[in-house]
Amino acid sequence: MEEVSRWWERLKAAPVWIRSRLGARIWLRTCDEVGTNTRTFWRPNIENRGRMVLGSRVRINSNWAPVELVSGPQGVIEIGDGVFINYGSMISAQLHVRIGSNVMVGNYCIVADTEFPGIGGPQGEPQGGPPIEPRAVEIGDGAWLAARVTVLPGARIGAGAMIAAGSVVAGEIPAGKVAGGIPARVLRAG
Amino acid sequence: MTLRSTWNAARARRWLRACASVGAEPYLVGKPTVDSYRGQLRIGDRFRLGSRPVASHLVAGPGAILHIGNDVSIGYGAAVAAIQHVHIGDGTRIGPFVIIMDTNFHGASGDQSIQHDCRPVRIGDGCRIGSRVTIARGVTIGDGAEILAGSVVSSAIPPGVCAAGGRARIIGRAGDLNSRWDSAAAALPDILMASLGLASPPDLDGRPIPGHVWTETRMQDLLSVIENRLGVTLDIVAAHKIQTFAEVAAAVQHAVGERRGQAGGP
Repeated sequence: MEEVSRWWERLKAAPVWIRSRLGARIWLRTCDEVGTNTRTFWRPNIENRGRMVLGSRVRINSNWAPVELVSGPQGVIEIGDGVFINYGSMISAQLHVRIGSNVMVGNYCIVADTEFPGIGGPQGEPQGGPPIEPRAVEIGDGAWLAARVTVLPGARIGAGAMIAAGSVVAGEIPAGKVAGGIPARVLRAG
Repeated sequence: MTLRSTWNAARARRWLRACASVGAEPYLVGKPTVDSYRGQLRIGDRFRLGSRPVASHLVAGPGAILHIGNDVSIGYGAAVAAIQHVHIGDGTRIGPFVIIMDTNFHGASGDQSIQHDCRPVRIGDGCRIGSRVTIARGVTIGDGAEILAGSVVSSAIPPGVCAAGGRARIIGRAGDLNSRWDSAAAALPDILMASLGLASPPDLDGRPIPGHVWTETRMQDLLSVIENRLGVTLDIVAAHKIQTFAEVAAAVQHAVGERRGQAGGP
C-alpha cells in the first residue's frame, strides 16, 4: 500500500516536473551554457549581456516573485551544479559572480558585484558621479544563504558556510562557519 | 533615436504618468507603481528606477511634494512615500529595497491619522545609499554622505560622512576605504557602547569622550574587547592620550593597517 501511495505521489508531481524541465529550456535559452536536468519553476528574468554558465541540476524557483539574473557586457555569472535559488533573488554581475555547486540561495537575496544592481539596461550603468567599480563575488561549494541576505561587492563566502537570514555579507566568511548579522560575523563554528 | 530608446521613452511616460514633471530620458527597468493622490511628484533628468524582480513604488499624498533631482537612480523594491515633503538631491544613488518615508502612517498610540507627526525628509546631492536602508521621517542626510547597506537612519547625517548600523552612526568619511562594512570602524560604535556603558552607539567624530565613562577600568575593558573582536592590540600608553571617539577609530585603523602590512610583507 505504501508503495502505491509513493507512486501516486510521483505521478501527481509529474506535470510540475515536465513543466519545470520545459520551462528551463525556454526561459534559460539566452544563457551560454546550461547543464542537464536544470529546472525552473515559473518564469525567471534572464538578462544576459555578458556570459552566463549554469551547471546541471540547478533549480530556480520564481513563484511569487521572479529570480533575476543579470550580466553586464563584461560580466560573468557562473552557477555550479545542484544550486537552488529561491524566489525574488537577484544575481547581478558586471565583473564576475561565481556560485559554487550545491549552494542554496534563500528568497529575496541580493548577490551583486556592484553597489547598485538592477538599474542597468541596454544603455549600460548610470553615468555621472563616481565610477562604478565592480568587485568579484565568490560563494563556495555547499554554502547556504538564508532569506534576505545581501552579499556586497567583493565578498567571499567559504565552502559550506551558513549565512543567517537578513545578514549583510562584506569581506570574507571562512569555510564551514555559521555567520550572521549586519555586517555578518562568525557566530559559531558550524 | 533608435526603436529601443523610443520604446523605453514611451514605457517611462506611461508608468510615470502620475508625475507633475519628468525630466529628459527617464529609464525604467520593469513596472513600478507611481501614484499621486493630489500631491506632486517632480522628477529630474536621467532618472532611473528598477522594479525587477520586485516592484518599486513612489507615492505622494494630498498636497505633498516628492522631489527627485537630476541623475538619480533608485534600485528595485524601493518604497518612497511623501505625505509632506521628501527631497532627493541630484546625482544620488540608492540601492534596492530602500524605504524612504516622511511619516510613520500612524501615531504610536491612539491617533491613527496619516498626517500624524509628519516630518520632511531631505537627502542631499551625490549621496550613496546602500541596499535595504531604511530612512525614517524627519531625517536630513548631507551632500555626498554614504549610508552602508542594511542601516536604519533615524537621525541627521552631516555632509561627506559614512554612516552605518541598526542605529546609523558616523564611522568615517564617505568613499574612504575604511568606510565599508568589512572595516574595523564599522564595528566600533557597538563595541564602544557595550564596553563604555553608553546609552547608544556613539558617532566616531571629533566629540570628546565623556570623562565619567573614560575610566581606567573601562579603557582596559575596551582594549581587551577590541583585541578579541578585531584582533588588534592598541598600545596602552597611546590609549591614555585618546580624548575623542575619532581618535579611537584612528588608532584602531592604524593598528589594522599595521597588521595588514605585516601579513602582506616579507
